[in-house]
Amino acid sequence: MWAEALFWAALYGAVPIVLAGLGGVISERSGVANIALEGFLLAGAFVGVWAGQQVPLIGVLAALALGGLLGLLHAFLTQKARLDHLVSGLAINLMAAGVTRFLSMRLFPSGIEVPTLHRAPFLILALCLAALITFVLYRTPFGLRLRAVGENPTSARTSGIDPLPIRYIAVSISGMLAALGGAYISLADVGTFSRDMSAGKGFVALAAVIFGKWKPLETTGGAVLFGFFYALQTQVQISGIRAKLFGIEWASPALLDSLPYVLTTIALVAFVGRAVAPRALGGTAE
Amino acid sequence: MTGGSVLLFRAARMVAPALVSLVAALIVAGVFIRLAGADPFTALASLFYGSTGLEPSGFNIFLLAQSLARATPLLLVGIAVSLGLRAGMFNIGAQGQMTLGALAAAIVGAAASRYPVSPLLLVPLLLGCAALAGAVWAAIPGWLRTWRGVHEVITTILFNYIAINLADYLVTYHLRDPASIGVQTREIARAVWLSPLVPGSGLTAGFYLALACTALFSIAMKRTVLGYEIRAVGLAPEAARVAGIAVSRIQVKAMAVSGALAGLAGALEVLSIHHRFLSGVSGSYGFDGIAVALLGGMNGLGVAVSALFFGCLLSGANYMQMQTSVPAAVGVIVQAVIIAGAGLRFMRFSRKEATS
Repeated sequence: MWAEALFWAALYGAVPIVLAGLGGVISERSGVANIALEGFLLAGAFVGVWAGQQVPLIGVLAALALGGLLGLLHAFLTQKARLDHLVSGLAINLMAAGVTRFLSMRLFPSGIEVPTLHRAPFLILALCLAALITFVLYRTPFGLRLRAVGENPTSARTSGIDPLPIRYIAVSISGMLAALGGAYISLADVGTFSRDMSAGKGFVALAAVIFGKWKPLETTGGAVLFGFFYALQTQVQISGIRAKLFGIEWASPALLDSLPYVLTTIALVAFVGRAVAPRALGGTAE
Repeated sequence: MTGGSVLLFRAARMVAPALVSLVAALIVAGVFIRLAGADPFTALASLFYGSTGLEPSGFNIFLLAQSLARATPLLLVGIAVSLGLRAGMFNIGAQGQMTLGALAAAIVGAAASRYPVSPLLLVPLLLGCAALAGAVWAAIPGWLRTWRGVHEVITTILFNYIAINLADYLVTYHLRDPASIGVQTREIARAVWLSPLVPGSGLTAGFYLALACTALFSIAMKRTVLGYEIRAVGLAPEAARVAGIAVSRIQVKAMAVSGALAGLAGALEVLSIHHRFLSGVSGSYGFDGIAVALLGGMNGLGVAVSALFFGCLLSGANYMQMQTSVPAAVGVIVQAVIIAGAGLRFMRFSRKEATS
């Protein structure tokens, strides 16, 4: 049935956004702004395919490892090298785009295909992680420390909490999650890598974080909503509806492609009003 | 210390981080070139030749012209982003603004072939339309930021995707050139083609316009009321508000002008090189311009130098790809390293204080 297909498409389309969004929550809650989610996604997608050519599972593990490393890099650049968080994120995004483009041109000049993994485990994993992260963030000492560091690192330090290792861990985890999302796209969704295949999903994930007011469950909800926007676009295209109104082809691929971004913007504008970022977002671990 | 050596020391301190990041970038580039199976020295040499035109066989002005042509949009987008940053607004949407500006110029330019209007009137009109398109596209995220507090980093990025898809749609369904196969608009009127300064290079008077805009930007920031207000809003919005400056309006205005400049860049690409709109006309200039702005310290002179530098780098990378088959993506990687290095300097201009 049409609606059922849409429902599942929305859920599966949301998986990378949920994963990257959860990563965003963890990172930003610890005080490190993270627009590098897009770069993490792309890197994870590439490495997943590259390392997973024989055994896709190894690709997943490789993506996790690379994501963790890139997260450490972002944390290092922002905390030790004191780079502006947005600049560091931008640099990592560019680096990921350039390196994946370079390597994919050299290693798979005529494209690559890998056997796809089942998608269902990823979906289940994503939803379980959402619950797990909510629990850890609000019910464990580590979560409390993480949130404290994101609100006020200076008083956290006076309470005996060292912000630096927490931030390193948090951003590293966010890298792993986002890269996992990327690996999902390339290994479970399409079975190949194409340049710039993350298509802005990392930024939509960030929008989900803001939409969800930096809370894991709300962020997941937002991510599913945005996944729905993406799914809507593909379903309409598949169904082949033609909708010509006032001389505009509403159901054409190009306009539909813009739909997720338009709807995401509207959702952000409508709901962001009461969102308060972690107070120490964007600073160093002083 | 004597006065002269103090000055030298200061200059060295300003230039040192840039040099360090440049050296680091070259090393990283060398690694990737090796990975591509080529000899780093030959490849980097061809990068240099392609950038500057200074080939061993003699000066090749065509290559230099290509570099400068490449630098033109970088210059404009660089100032665009700098202007936004000075007002405290991070405009990542230059790509979308440039796309819509190019589209506007292409539409008006193609329509103009039916009316025998003098180029002296037509070119400014075209540029004006492009600037308007870019300004509107940037002003909306700016306004959303002041009205609802949505961070412009996300909205401008989302708007990039929207703009590209919107342009694609318009060109595919409504503005397509019936005389050609590709997805592109009609050719613009011959009257408004900008003629190349060096045959075949794409370098036109647009380059001078970009330089003029840069100079104007510098002067405006330092000598006009608006420039002063922008700087005040960027450095200390609350203090500016108390001093009676309409902070929200300045922020939106800054975004609008920023978008206008990016739109202008798109128009120049159409007028100088492509003579029509096609998808991908804005290329990666939207993001390269951010790097240019950061590396240049967001002031006119710095942006000019870094735009020229990046223009040469990217043009040279293309040449290197042709000569040695090392992917031009190496240029992008170099760019990323330089941004990371240059961002260290950006810290002093950051509107977020370093303490938390």
